[in-house]
Amino acid sequence: MIKYIISVILLTLAACLLQQFLPAIGGLHGARVLILPLVFLCAAVTVDFATMLVLAYLCGFLWDSQHTLGSHGGDPEIYKEQIESLSFGYSIILYAMMGLLMQGIQPLFRKGKWHLSSLLSGIAIFLYLFSEYLLINFVRGDFTFPATAFYRIYLTSALTMLFSPIVFWIMFQLASLCQHTIRYDGLTRRSRYID
Amino acid sequence: MKPQNLIALLLFIAGAAWALTRSEQTVRSIQKTYYNSISYVVKSGSTFETTASEFVKEVEHSEEWKARYNLAKEELDKKRMEVAHLRKLEEENARLSQALKFQKEAPFDVIAAKIIRRQPSTWWHTVTINRGEKQGIGVQLPVLSPEGLVGKVDAPSEDTSTVILLTDEKCKVSAKVDGTPELGILSGQRGLTGQDPVLKLSFLSKDAKISAGMRVFTTGKGKLFPPDILLGTVTSFESGPLYGEALVKPAVDFAALQTVFVKLLPHSLEEEYR
Repeated sequence: MIKYIISVILLTLAACLLQQFLPAIGGLHGARVLILPLVFLCAAVTVDFATMLVLAYLCGFLWDSQHTLGSHGGDPEIYKEQIESLSFGYSIILYAMMGLLMQGIQPLFRKGKWHLSSLLSGIAIFLYLFSEYLLINFVRGDFTFPATAFYRIYLTSALTMLFSPIVFWIMFQLASLCQHTIRYDGLTRRSRYID
Repeated sequence: MKPQNLIALLLFIAGAAWALTRSEQTVRSIQKTYYNSISYVVKSGSTFETTASEFVKEVEHSEEWKARYNLAKEELDKKRMEVAHLRKLEEENARLSQALKFQKEAPFDVIAAKIIRRQPSTWWHTVTINRGEKQGIGVQLPVLSPEGLVGKVDAPSEDTSTVILLTDEKCKVSAKVDGTPELGILSGQRGLTGQDPVLKLSFLSKDAKISAGMRVFTTGKGKLFPPDILLGTVTSFESGPLYGEALVKPAVDFAALQTVFVKLLPHSLEEEYR
């Protein structure tokens, strides 16, 4: 178990580095593959609750270190309305919420229905981006939701979801290497009668 | 709930509360450490990307020349290849000369920087440049190009810096419309993609005489950006109940931007600024 957890953490760090080289696709409204959230979501369904929280903290911390903007403005006499930024640490909460969502279908995953988890990873990323956009609107005021923002959220989720089978395959390989079983029920026959 | 899960949850809440209550300075310090640790990977990746793209271009050219080789004489193709190579060099020379001219003619001290990563985050319009604190880059320094204002530095690390582009809602610029007494605040618009960006010039007089095609420049007020730097061209003007608002097409083509210039602080102000 511990070997598997360490390897998942290393995989998460590798995904964080890989994320640096995944550009936004201009033709798809700036959509991109969010590999770090995807690795977290796929890992979240394969580990226990406590490990999921550790991963959520790690991913949220790295994500915010990468993306948090400074709050500095300019001369307050000229720049009267300062534009707020999302504060450092909000992603930790959002990652934990996504992780909880994934843990909700863990029983199905353990029965071998990984494709449902794959689908849910897309939905979780959609909800994550949508919540993030709502939070931006909340802290900055003046609610706007242009069609381009919707397309960006939708296409990013769909693109990212397409890669989830690959990430699950890597997870299964890691589990196999670490001699850890992450899918039980679907692989074993159970007696229908109690002796 | 199992006891270990409860303990994990409590620790998680405590950790999240710790992260959420960090001061601006601590967050900057965390970000600096993070960027310093990944800057080598990002720089190497950028170099690899350039090499790969040059290789792909080379392959494309080779195939093109091969097809022509079947149709024309070998000598002619050689000459053509030479001409193409010279043209490429000429274009590069023109681009570099333009950049050098800008650097020489700029009435302030600037440092050239190369964009090594574009739009790394989902919602913010930012780029990463290959210059950092080692080269004298600091927070909020204006970033320019020969065409006009690009944005401002957000987070400098040792070797790289993040720049918020003019198209981001967070980058506000005090602006004036050329040929009118109108002053306003120019900013990007939320949720719009960077493909065809349109900026919003707010707080203009509601009865301002502004028409499409008028140029917009920085005022220099607000102690952030130098005056009279071109920002863009007005595309439309709309009068509201209190203020007028104009839409502005940026002067800079952000998609094609490769080299930018960061305006450094005068030495007299450097110490005070720090």
